[in-house]
Amino acid sequence: MLLLIQYTLIFSSVLVLVALGGCISEHSGVINLGLEGIMVIGALGGALMMRYLGTSNAFIMVLLVMLAAIVFGMLYSSLLGVACINFKADQTLVGTALNLLGTAAATVFVKAINTAANPDDHSSEIEYVRARKMFIVNINGFEFNWFMLVAVIAVIVVAVMLYKTKFGLRLMACGEHPQAADSVGINVYKMRWAGVLISGALGGLGGICYILAGVSLWKFENGVAGFGFLALAVMIFGQWKPYRIALAALLFGLFRALSNTYVGFPALAALNLPGNVYNMMPYIVSLIVLAFTSKTSRAPKAEGIPYDKGSR
Amino acid sequence: MKKVLKNPGVQAFVASIICIILGLLIGYIVLLFINPEGAAESIINVIKNFLTWNRANKKLQQFGNTLAKTMPLLMCSLSILFAYKVGLFNIGAAGQYVAGSCACLYAALAWGWGWLPCMIFALAAGAVLGAIVGFLKSRCNVNEVISGIMLNWISLYLANTILTKVKETASPYTMYIKDVNPSALLPNAGLDKFFNNNQYITIAVPLALIIAIAVYILLSKTKLGYELKATGSNKNAAKYAGMAENRNIILTLIISGALAGLGASMLYLTGYMRWECTQSSVPGMGFNGIAAAFLGGLNPIGAIFSSFFIQHITDGGQYVNTNFYSSQISDLISSVIIYLCGFVLFIKLTMNKMIARSEEKKARAIKSAASQGGDK
Amino acid sequence: MEQYAVEMLHITKRFPGIIANDDITLQLKKGEIHALLGENGAGKSTLMSVLFGLYQPEEGIIKKDGVEVKINNPNDANALGIGMVHQHFKLVECFTVLDNIIMGVEPNKMGFLQKKEAREKVMALSEKYGLHVDPDAKIEDITVGMQQRTEILKMLYRDNEILIFDEPTAVLTPQEITELMQIMKNLAAEGKSILFISHKLNEIMEVADRCSVLRKGRYIGTVNTKDTTIEQLSAMMVGRNVNFHVEKKPAHPGDVVLDIENMTVASKVHKNNAVKNVSLKVRAGEIVCIAGIDGNGQSEFVYGLSGLEPLVSGKITLLGKDITKTSIRQKSILGISHIPEDRHKHGLVLDYSLEDNLVLQTYFNPEFTSGAGFLRRKNIREYANRLIEEYDVRSGQGAVTTARAMSGGNQQKAIIAREIDKAPELLIAVQPTRGLDVGAIEFIHKQLVAQRDAGKAVLLVSLELDEVMDVPDRILVMYEGEIVGELDPKKTTQEELGLYMAGAKRDEVKA
Repeated sequence: MLLLIQYTLIFSSVLVLVALGGCISEHSGVINLGLEGIMVIGALGGALMMRYLGTSNAFIMVLLVMLAAIVFGMLYSSLLGVACINFKADQTLVGTALNLLGTAAATVFVKAINTAANPDDHSSEIEYVRARKMFIVNINGFEFNWFMLVAVIAVIVVAVMLYKTKFGLRLMACGEHPQAADSVGINVYKMRWAGVLISGALGGLGGICYILAGVSLWKFENGVAGFGFLALAVMIFGQWKPYRIALAALLFGLFRALSNTYVGFPALAALNLPGNVYNMMPYIVSLIVLAFTSKTSRAPKAEGIPYDKGSR
Repeated sequence: MKKVLKNPGVQAFVASIICIILGLLIGYIVLLFINPEGAAESIINVIKNFLTWNRANKKLQQFGNTLAKTMPLLMCSLSILFAYKVGLFNIGAAGQYVAGSCACLYAALAWGWGWLPCMIFALAAGAVLGAIVGFLKSRCNVNEVISGIMLNWISLYLANTILTKVKETASPYTMYIKDVNPSALLPNAGLDKFFNNNQYITIAVPLALIIAIAVYILLSKTKLGYELKATGSNKNAAKYAGMAENRNIILTLIISGALAGLGASMLYLTGYMRWECTQSSVPGMGFNGIAAAFLGGLNPIGAIFSSFFIQHITDGGQYVNTNFYSSQISDLISSVIIYLCGFVLFIKLTMNKMIARSEEKKARAIKSAASQGGDK
Repeated sequence: MEQYAVEMLHITKRFPGIIANDDITLQLKKGEIHALLGENGAGKSTLMSVLFGLYQPEEGIIKKDGVEVKINNPNDANALGIGMVHQHFKLVECFTVLDNIIMGVEPNKMGFLQKKEAREKVMALSEKYGLHVDPDAKIEDITVGMQQRTEILKMLYRDNEILIFDEPTAVLTPQEITELMQIMKNLAAEGKSILFISHKLNEIMEVADRCSVLRKGRYIGTVNTKDTTIEQLSAMMVGRNVNFHVEKKPAHPGDVVLDIENMTVASKVHKNNAVKNVSLKVRAGEIVCIAGIDGNGQSEFVYGLSGLEPLVSGKITLLGKDITKTSIRQKSILGISHIPEDRHKHGLVLDYSLEDNLVLQTYFNPEFTSGAGFLRRKNIREYANRLIEEYDVRSGQGAVTTARAMSGGNQQKAIIAREIDKAPELLIAVQPTRGLDVGAIEFIHKQLVAQRDAGKAVLLVSLELDEVMDVPDRILVMYEGEIVGELDPKKTTQEELGLYMAGAKRDEVKA
């Protein structure tokens, strides 16, 4: 049971971070379908930091790993920004490209450094047993992960930012009615860039959080198994509102956690369902949820439409 | 020259070539960074693919392999471009492909069906998945991209579960069709003779090409194509003109799904590949289909060539120097190409602007020459 | 020497192929209301875009208080105290009135919004100028009039001195228009300088001190409204004396073609029904006009009638046949033609060629589609060429021109050609002249009358008072989804019509 709660919380943390990233990007008017790829690259940044940083100071480790993930995520998301904000590319197409590119680039890169270190090593794995311990505080068998705290903070910060600050007001104006924002002197391109970069930072954080959730070794060929997409479902279920996103993430996290821990529950184990069924659950649930909620969806009105200063 | 450049078809072609060159260049730069020594040779090998072999026979044989794998890719790209013309982004083609794979393999291995029923079953499986996306879109307003992605993962885990029943005991792979039920293998119809007896060259090759042409005709010459494209371009106008908008959306995604599902059978029923029942990511065929569709300028005939090219460099990945590099470099190149396809609109606009500017210059020159003439 | 707040001197702005502004001079005095008059396409919006920094002129200069200034973007314009109420409001629908007012100049401490401060300032301004708003209401929930007051407050909140109103009365009721006129006068009295863009001569005569006229990108002249007449202004605007009256013979109504009983249609934006229990009849050989202020259920009424939206209740009969549940396609085949309100949203597939748009309602006929489902391209081309010639639809490359590349007037002509050539029993025309110039309007009015004279039933929906008074044989006024009055255009006055449109007067109508 404790294990279930632990997994639920950590997977929810991943989903919250990434979904908030998507939420901010969409509030600025850009659909970020590339979150999956951004997570991979963020995870790569964090994993590299863990591999090469020889510190035994847990604080420095946690801080620098998060920072690396954020920086990698932001840099990678700027590819989305350039294409979709400045060159008005199809956001779905570019997002898809980033997802494919993320996994391919991370694999090529990790294999290259593994091969460089040891000519016989052609794997795409990075191992971080020692570093991972620094992220975890063991409280009576419950593994508290610092990312759980980060996720809670992120929810509060994003909510305050969207609803209480000048920046939030302007950001949302760009996603709802960019012409109106422009007419009062708000630079739509700048705000959308801000939205995309923040989503890159949060996506990157979510990525490193995901690979630290349950294992101490990551094979980059596998990507992040659709978590970026799940986060998008969480975002829609949460109706683009931070607190509702947090609740949605808890629900989805629970389903994901069940697939890791169902063996531990006699009642579930007795059902003798294949493990794949639990893997499928979050996707099926989100599909059903979307079917019932999409009619009344309150998505930002201008999302997905490239802003062109000329057409007003 | 300028007149040629104004033609939208030519513009699409030029834009695609620019994307390809830039994609390869970026791939080369990545290789240079990893290890400058073998980079040039490796990138050339990626481009040469089967031409890397010296013996003509081997070349033909490998050419056949690439060709065999091009067909499912072509089907996926047709699936995507067909939906895209109707204003739908069928990212779910990947899952429809998985559903097709699962259907034809299970029918072949567990039920012992012949190749034709297996193929139709795969087509139907893809169509059903497409219908779900279409239904959710038209009845519940669920974005087809999101539902498509969800169904991709659902169908992956479902396929893993179902195909586990027909897998080899010792490995995670499904059994060989040729051992269990050779009647499910697609007939070669003598085509293999042209490719040094490459057994994977089957009727799938001409069939896929015919379907590409059929899709072209359907979209550009028929009443149905007129209606579907109108729905895609302006669904309000389509509704105003009395077209059944919801039916068109569902119909489009059924056709789109059927194409992807059929595509899967064109690979798995040749016996070229087997399903790995423990795979944890959705096969890339559906996603590469996006690359091929856009690289081909969203034209079914263009898709034939772009699909071959994408498959060509994907296969070329195995010829890199694996002492330094990994074969995923081709995945990297093709994803860079998809990314660059996002800029195609911009490239075309720039071309048009350049043409307009030079024309205006010319017009002005003529005008001023004329007025000067008048002054004298 | 007179003190000008803003001067635009000898402005020339070219676009590829056209000169939008050709040596235009406009001088705005401090504290005056200055009207800018011109038809659609006369260059009014281009000139204002230049003043607002959206375009850079090729020639000419702009002076503020006698000093030359460069305006490179809207921010520069704002900094100079120039504000604008756009024709289509620039308001974020899901934000509150207050948020929309402060957006861009938010009072804040360390980035955190200080809404209390903002609210006090807004309330003070609202009191001073009589601009009543509820600062916490969301834009999507308030009336158009209140949205406009929000836009005005936006300018005042920024302490703008020069206020531009771009066609501000198009969306208002006559009573709201009177109110706006008073507000504008108040603002001018407080020392604000106002530019009032319009093509409505009555309003200009009433509110403006001076009026500058543009025609086809050229500056025609500036006159004091005291010293001029409506006729003179209109002659300046169109370059000839226009016959405002539509020539038509008396109507000879025949049998009932369309009979609507108790039609109710739900609203997409609010919970009430948009159309409530409407009954009306249209006979062969008459033009019936549904008049009313925008947003009183006319659009939904047409959607319900044409089948674009389902009915909540009611019955529709066409030539004695019940078509309540008939599909859009069947209605079209049975003889309903529909010139839609929004030609870009409903009327055309902009990415299709002109010829493909001309067969949008008939492409499935055997003439255009073979039994095997293939299009008969040759027939389509011939048919399109015939319509293009008959209705004088002009485009760059004839039948193969993309609809998007055509001018608004020719797009509308194409739609009218398509709908009339179908030889309908009933022609529904919704705001058929919106956004068109005088020539095109005359053409369209003639076509409507010709249909009537050919014994067809015509149902016109219009927001333009002139059109409502001139074209139809009967007027039905719609207010908040109900028919509140039936008027005879020959006997009624604009004033009486206005009272019905504003809901101030109503009869029990049995149409």
